[in-house]
Amino acid sequence: MSAAVTTAGTGSTFSRLWARGPFARRAVPPPPVLSLSQIRWIGALLIAAQLPQAPWLPAWIAVFGITLVGLRMVFATRDARRPQATPTRIPSWALVVFAVAAAWFVRASFGGHLAGRDPSVAFLFILVGIKFLEARTRRDGTLLACLAMFMLITPFLANQSAWAALAMLPALVILGATLEALARTAPLVAPRAALKRSALLIAQGIPLAAILFVVFPRLSAPLWGLPQDYAAQTGLSDTMSPGMISELSQSDAVAFRVDFDGEPPPPAQRYWRGPVLTRFDGRTWSAIPQRGPGAPVDAQGAIQYTVTLEPSFKPWLFALEQAVGPPQITGGADDPGARSVQLTADRQIVARLPVREVTRYVQRSALGTHFASASDLDVRLARALPPGNPRAKALAADLRARYPDDREYAAAILRMFHDEAFVYTLTPPLLPTDPVDMFLFDERRGFCEHFASAFTFLLRAAGIPARVVTGYQGGEINPRGGYMIVRQSDAHAWTEAYIDGEWRRYDPTAAVAPNRIERGLSSAVGAGEPVPLFARLESGWLKSMQLAVDALNHAWERDVIGFNQSRQRELWRDLRLNTDNAPWVVGSLAAVIGAWGAVLLAWMAWRRRTEAREVLLWQAACARLAAAGLPRQPHEGPLDYAARAAARWPQFGIAFNAIAESYASLRYGDVEPDSKASEALLATLARAVDVLPAPRALRATAP
Amino acid sequence: MATPSPSAFTRPAAPSWLGGWWQRKRASLFRHTPGDGRPVVLRHSRIYVLPTRRGLALMATLAVMLVASLNYALSLGFVVTFLLAGMLGAALLHTFRNIAGLTVTPLGAGEAFAGGTLSYALALAGGTHPRVAVRLAATGAGEVVVDVPAGTGLHVSLARTAERRGRQALGRVTLSSDYPVGLWRAWAYLHFPLSGLVFPAPEPGAPPLPGGSEGPDSRESGRSDAADLAGLRTYVAGDPLSRVAWKAVARGSGWYTKQFDGASGGGPVALDWFELPEGLDPELRIARLTAWVLAAEHAARPFGLRLPGQALTAASGREHRRAVLKALALFEP
Repeated sequence: MSAAVTTAGTGSTFSRLWARGPFARRAVPPPPVLSLSQIRWIGALLIAAQLPQAPWLPAWIAVFGITLVGLRMVFATRDARRPQATPTRIPSWALVVFAVAAAWFVRASFGGHLAGRDPSVAFLFILVGIKFLEARTRRDGTLLACLAMFMLITPFLANQSAWAALAMLPALVILGATLEALARTAPLVAPRAALKRSALLIAQGIPLAAILFVVFPRLSAPLWGLPQDYAAQTGLSDTMSPGMISELSQSDAVAFRVDFDGEPPPPAQRYWRGPVLTRFDGRTWSAIPQRGPGAPVDAQGAIQYTVTLEPSFKPWLFALEQAVGPPQITGGADDPGARSVQLTADRQIVARLPVREVTRYVQRSALGTHFASASDLDVRLARALPPGNPRAKALAADLRARYPDDREYAAAILRMFHDEAFVYTLTPPLLPTDPVDMFLFDERRGFCEHFASAFTFLLRAAGIPARVVTGYQGGEINPRGGYMIVRQSDAHAWTEAYIDGEWRRYDPTAAVAPNRIERGLSSAVGAGEPVPLFARLESGWLKSMQLAVDALNHAWERDVIGFNQSRQRELWRDLRLNTDNAPWVVGSLAAVIGAWGAVLLAWMAWRRRTEAREVLLWQAACARLAAAGLPRQPHEGPLDYAARAAARWPQFGIAFNAIAESYASLRYGDVEPDSKASEALLATLARAVDVLPAPRALRATAP
Repeated sequence: MATPSPSAFTRPAAPSWLGGWWQRKRASLFRHTPGDGRPVVLRHSRIYVLPTRRGLALMATLAVMLVASLNYALSLGFVVTFLLAGMLGAALLHTFRNIAGLTVTPLGAGEAFAGGTLSYALALAGGTHPRVAVRLAATGAGEVVVDVPAGTGLHVSLARTAERRGRQALGRVTLSSDYPVGLWRAWAYLHFPLSGLVFPAPEPGAPPLPGGSEGPDSRESGRSDAADLAGLRTYVAGDPLSRVAWKAVARGSGWYTKQFDGASGGGPVALDWFELPEGLDPELRIARLTAWVLAAEHAARPFGLRLPGQALTAASGREHRRAVLKALALFEP
């Protein structure tokens, strides 16, 4: 370690290195150094800014970043306690080690990437700690305040819930107080007063913030590439193998929420169509690439509703069967890729890009169980029968011989599911080989995907075109807010068979567990099954609280998070804002902001007026005496002035003294504001001012 | 009279009528000439507000946050960014309000010997609300930061080094504040016709007082020991402080001036410009005369002054001393 590196200077390491370079300046006065209280404010700000981000970071990074900040606070406090000792300084090499370690941590935690959005956020998280450790001057303080300010928005990349917004508020208030502490050197800023002032500033700025939020134009496309790092999400996918949906059903995460324009449909008709799986390899069903558009559906009696889809990182949008046309996206999908959606020939609604953010769309559906096919290819592909599952094929041949009619054949299988000892369960056994055979003949325990898979296989084995449709079935109405919540636990799979020239919906689960369709998952499976908490039927306080919170969340997503370009356009239209006339827009914006300023200044003036009553009374008394020919000299304090007035008008000496003394103790004494004592003094002052005669009378009595 | 500090603004090349307009406009905008009557109430027309460096840094950060929010379509990012922008806007109004409505009254200017410290007194009155961290600065003078309580006023004195004899104007005063959060600086220029009187610096190591009359040698009267003490007489304003009987003052028995043997007998001293050696530099003459004034005062001898074009008869006392020093300060050879 060289001596030069550890030399204690005034500037930061970076600025010292800079100053040694070719641009070294001479005779620069030492920049103002951060005081202990300023360091504490900055530390508090940094930790308040770090905490909301911490849950979204790898634990090591979170702990490391916060520890660095805490370390500086401890050092600063220790140094202040021993002013004689040399201040604790982290040597520069240690800072470099920290920075390298941070980079290594971040790289290791983000799959070997250091660039990109999430690694950058993590790196910033640690970097502020390192910078804080070496911060010396007030300019460093400003830099840290700016970095902390930026960190206020980084948690929203991970989560834009109302809780995330609440978690950001403390840092916002501390920021204002920190800025005040940085601007004042002496006397020390009283923490509570500074926080109060900061909160007041923020509160006063809210109208301006609201105006800007509404009018500031949003982009319809991002400025630069969006990151590719998608978190693994629960949700339906484009494949289905045994056990996948039963696993998904154990999550009570919200898949989407629906606001119906009219009455919601009855439970038996709540089939939310998602991925359609046509290809089967004997074990796994998978989707085949699709082209649109779907055949038209009779739109008569169609219902309209708005879906608020949680990010699924999959391209499917869900609609009640049968969607009349592609949805109209109204919110969330600022990304034009996600915006271009189509209704495919097999009636899936697919976006060109995955849904990465909360997306709102208006959809119309004509409730029905069958529709015409749009392409022969679909039908042809739905006949393919993979090798394997010999026992199931034998069963199909046997049944087909008895029921040559397609409908009767299907009904016979459903009857078999219903009459024989099939069990609907969330914990199906593993089916290692020939899953259809094992399910039908050995285990006979399964979840909806087992029934749908076996049913579809049996149809195909009999030469009937059939395919598996996945999606959600059901949905719970939230009495608070009157909208429907569809959870992952409502995930479902059913079958579509091409009979008599139309695709018809068959739900084999309904044959084995009719309650699943009518009353939901928890009523259909046995006691002791791992049904997720919020999918259970019992209506305890926890559930009702959860519904209340969910209603808030829904409103939040609809009105705050979902406020994007199209919602903004809608609002402008509703407000009759003529956005084409730019000078008019700018002019009215300036007028509104000016009005805000004027109102705020007027309010502050009014509030002061009500606050400082003693000042007003004192000024009234002074004005009266001045009018009587005895103005207060600029250098004169209240007591001196009263003495002078008492010398001139001895008969009112008592009143002058009372005014001056009560005013002086209210203003400069240690009387608690708004206390009994201050009330009494104020009353004395008011009475004494009242007693003073008019200026003319005073002048008349002057000696 | 000393002129205000040179301006950093160069006059743009313009037609003369435009130049004249700009000259007038500049005078009113930047107050390079002492045009303020008394007292001055700071109104919006006089107050300028611009962001501080910290304010600019914050604005730049806000711009980055805005771009990030736009790109990632972060509605809450917009919320935070605009909340901070709102706070910035509210801070501007608070900063403006912190100095708007302040009344500044020039009280007067002091006197000092060249090289000493001249002080200029101003009174600030805040009106109905207290003003925090109001900063007053003038060219060459140290800054003063004060909190002005509501209601009553406050006196501020700006100290400036007295440079050379004559009148020294206060020049332009900048009253500013960045309260509450240091993101904006509101300021106003004040230019009062306040000027202090700078007495000439006495010549160091000046020759002894000229004789002028009989009496003991002036060198002896410079500093006497207790043995020479003749008695005490009642203190008269203008008596040198070195002769005050401080022990008596401390006892609380009143103010007395010590009288010394050597001093009592001193006759008047004539301080004459024309008596000084020929070829002596005029400023040096003035410095020497000043040193003699102080020496004569110290010796408690009356003194008179004769300068080209003016003469003051021998006398003593505070007023006389001031008149003599003023004549020396303002004398133009």
